[in-house]
Amino acid sequence: MSTAEAHDDGGRTAAVVPSRPRHAGEAYRTAPDATESTMASQTAQAQQTIKVPSPAGGRKRRGVNREGLEAGKRSTRTILWILLAASLILYGFPFLYLLLTSFKTPIDTIAVPPTVLPREWTLLNYVNALGRSGVLASFINSTQTAVISTALSLILAVPAAYGITRYKTRSGRVFIMAALVTRMVPPVAIGIPLASMMASVGLSDTPIALSIAHTTISLPLSIWLMSSFFEAVPQDLEEAATVDGCSRLGALWRVVIPVVSGGIAVTAIFAFLASWNEFLFALLMTAVRSQTTPVVIANFQTQFGLDWGSMTALAAVYSIPVIILTLLLQRKIVAGMTLGAVKG
Amino acid sequence: MRIPDRRFALYLMTPAALFLAVFVAYPLLRLVTDSFFKISPIVGGPRDFVGLDNYVRAFTSEAFIGAGWRTLGYTLMVVTLEFALGLGMALLFTTLGKASEIWRTMFLYPLMIAPIVAGLLWKFLMIDNFGLLGTLLNQAGILQDPNQIGWLSNPDIVLFSVAIPDIWLTTSFMCLVLFAGLQNIPGDLIEAARLDGARAGSLLFRIILPLLRPVIAVALVVRGIDAARAFDTILIQTNGGPQSASETMSLLVYRTMIRFGDPGLASAMGTIYLLAMLAIAFVAVSTIWRPGKDTR
Repeated sequence: MSTAEAHDDGGRTAAVVPSRPRHAGEAYRTAPDATESTMASQTAQAQQTIKVPSPAGGRKRRGVNREGLEAGKRSTRTILWILLAASLILYGFPFLYLLLTSFKTPIDTIAVPPTVLPREWTLLNYVNALGRSGVLASFINSTQTAVISTALSLILAVPAAYGITRYKTRSGRVFIMAALVTRMVPPVAIGIPLASMMASVGLSDTPIALSIAHTTISLPLSIWLMSSFFEAVPQDLEEAATVDGCSRLGALWRVVIPVVSGGIAVTAIFAFLASWNEFLFALLMTAVRSQTTPVVIANFQTQFGLDWGSMTALAAVYSIPVIILTLLLQRKIVAGMTLGAVKG
Repeated sequence: MRIPDRRFALYLMTPAALFLAVFVAYPLLRLVTDSFFKISPIVGGPRDFVGLDNYVRAFTSEAFIGAGWRTLGYTLMVVTLEFALGLGMALLFTTLGKASEIWRTMFLYPLMIAPIVAGLLWKFLMIDNFGLLGTLLNQAGILQDPNQIGWLSNPDIVLFSVAIPDIWLTTSFMCLVLFAGLQNIPGDLIEAARLDGARAGSLLFRIILPLLRPVIAVALVVRGIDAARAFDTILIQTNGGPQSASETMSLLVYRTMIRFGDPGLASAMGTIYLLAMLAIAFVAVSTIWRPGKDTR
């Protein structure tokens, strides 16, 4: 079994430093590793101008790099750590302040001058926010929309990406460029006609309509991501399967899909997040029945005056699933981010 | 019976292609068609062909030209600041090496937060009277009065203020991509430069940045496209105000449609906006990025 790197052509991969070199040999056997090695090889594509002459192993080069850019002196390192701590505190503080504010009493929320810590810890803002009519329903709507959109993206993107990468046809190349162009379309440009299209087929204000709209964002991204994951699967794998009497579709389903399951998971996370956090389409396409939480959060501003306390509480609650998801799947997310960036 | 590979590949791509044709290409076509009509916002209202009239109105309207410049300014500002901060963080993480890995992950969290939440959060920090930012700067002795800077109410600086949440959300992305690039710089090269007596400054500008060029190009293009489409964070913070000082193109198109009920004009603006984005992105991609120029 060859590694993902051997499968790639030599020149590019010379520049690859796998982020976790000790796993390089088992690149696509387990999910996170498949992710990392593709990430590395994709980074290499963007790095074409950097030519590293020797095909030395990752471990060795990591060692060299340590001597290269990594700071060695103890005093320098201490200063750098202090710098890092300061920037992370500065960076994390706004969100922390949101959380702290959500535990203040509604009056203290807009006290002048504001305090960082709550004078009195209370869940009143949460009770107010979640007790509002439509708030709990909006969570259900958000979840529904995101799940449908993720499923739709995957069902469409997985075969398409496979067709593009495995059979390198002209139409495939045209298609992947078209997907890239789709990424540049301002959502506001298609949101308005899309909303009237949905209305004319009687789908206005439904989670289905909104999830279709969200899929226009996540599908191109999913195709780009999945193409990179398929790229890392050696062709001999399905060839062996077809020799054993599998049809091409059967080989895809039974042999290739299990190998890229890690990549599918990464793609699913991004499709889900794209829908969960999306606001513009939701604003244009939903009224009362299918309103998602971002729209409800925004509406707090006008509909009920300026209820900052409830707004912070609802924003905090809405961010929790995302934070948990990130915590559980951080490695996959890092890989997907890098890939999505480099490709799309 | 076995269908040829070429056709099999086509079959695999067809569902996705159809989806994009129906839900992206067709709406775009409608956008372009609508731009030639004067349309009443009432459903079933009259629809009169007016030729290029909407385009003439767009180009002669101060709001449209203003929004174009603001979008450009906003994008340049966001991308520049993100690049500077992201590079700083990426270098910090690289010089600290593996020991900083967990903090590197923590640094990614803002990327997961909904833009609407980020916009709201920063509005809350910068709002007049009970905004924390002014108060903290006042307590630190930098400002004499907590309300001295009207972050979101002063038309001269509001475009900068509304960009902060965007920068806060996606500097992590810049950092991530640049960090991945830094890992690929061969250490011997840095060593050799050090032995030749290169100081930190020349190391950065003469060795690291030129080597990172392809990665930097990718990061700038991707972020530039996103920043030029910014909508959520600005809408929630200022809704384009005060006096349209933070009204970027997305907001203008949206407001022309929804608030002023002029779908024809909004479509013409949307079409110009779309074409401008595609043109700029195309130039950027083909001159500085060149994806897959010697692959595929």
